[in-house]
Amino acid sequence: MNIVGSFLINVAAFLVLAIGGGLGTAWYMMDTGSRLSTRTLGPWVTWTTAGRPDADPYTRAHTSRNALLPISSTLELTYVASTDSNGGRLHSACEYAIVMEDPEIAWWGIAAFDGRGNLITNTAERHAFNSETVMREPNGHAVITLARDARAGNWLPIGGGSRITLVLTVQDAAWAAASVERGAPKPLPEIQRVACR
Amino acid sequence: MKATILKLPRWMRQIGWRTVVGAALLAGIVHITATLAVPLLGPGNAFRKLQDTLPANQMVFLPPPTPTTQLLPFVAADALYAACRFDLASGSLAVSAVLSDPGWTLSLHTPQGDNFYVMPAQQLRRSEVSFVVTPASERLVDFGPRRVSGDDSQIESPVTQGLVLLRAPLRGLAWRAETEAKLRRASCTPVAPKR
Repeated sequence: MNIVGSFLINVAAFLVLAIGGGLGTAWYMMDTGSRLSTRTLGPWVTWTTAGRPDADPYTRAHTSRNALLPISSTLELTYVASTDSNGGRLHSACEYAIVMEDPEIAWWGIAAFDGRGNLITNTAERHAFNSETVMREPNGHAVITLARDARAGNWLPIGGGSRITLVLTVQDAAWAAASVERGAPKPLPEIQRVACR
Repeated sequence: MKATILKLPRWMRQIGWRTVVGAALLAGIVHITATLAVPLLGPGNAFRKLQDTLPANQMVFLPPPTPTTQLLPFVAADALYAACRFDLASGSLAVSAVLSDPGWTLSLHTPQGDNFYVMPAQQLRRSEVSFVVTPASERLVDFGPRRVSGDDSQIESPVTQGLVLLRAPLRGLAWRAETEAKLRRASCTPVAPKR
């Protein structure tokens, strides 16, 4: 190969590596995160410094890029799940069960969105439950069922044939403080796939 | 080792180590620049999305989130919201609201989404809250935030513009009207300084 060809190959490689690598890794760190900025607990992922003025640059970019307005993680933690507890992608074609076992948390809420954060259209006009609206079992636990068709109890409709994202919000200063030290004071609820079509 | 190198395509073997090292250095610069630039230049942050909906220094009851009225992504629909886009260029701002039940929060955000102040509802505290948001720059002039009232708490804002967000989770449909009435009582008004 002649000198010109070698030069052009080096220029092309330089640009691809520099721009593609720089932007690609930045996008990954802003979108998915890493251990530097997120904490993973089963299927749930939280941005540990979300909302705080001293948040790391990746968290700030994630917040801004996704048009979020997070409450400071010293008071409230937001956990996002896009897979079930076995690692399968959450999808509206499947049915899932989530058991909330923490009646002592000051306040919690769980909401279902499509993969882009949009509310899912459903005839029941139901998109979320919180610790005030959920129906509890005699032992204080709450079983939330995500399914396309109606289910008894706490049914969260997930129609539309798309990927699903679940957002669990825990507002409890003691929980938030303990989470800084060891991830979560208690295990977060599992997301069990019941069936798929 | 030698066998591995021989397996590379010929064009790839033309790439010099200086090219790779230089590209890695520039990739690092691009990575850092992009990460820092997104909060400042990115078009999609919440402040920009709400800017046209919210008049300055006025609390607005936002339409209940539904698939057709949702203003921001990942906003839970089991809550009602009121928001105020504040602009402290001409002075301080008085904010008052009722935080009546668990889960209710009153939060202040920078245009980039940082939450520099938050007040949650607490059972052992009175539910009516009021405070004054003052621009941080006033400290340079007055050696302390300008007091606009002897009674109100003062919150120093690190930014001139931002958002006040009042979130009220619904306890059920039966409480919707009551929750909405409480949200509509929230206010966000400029205050004239009293020295």
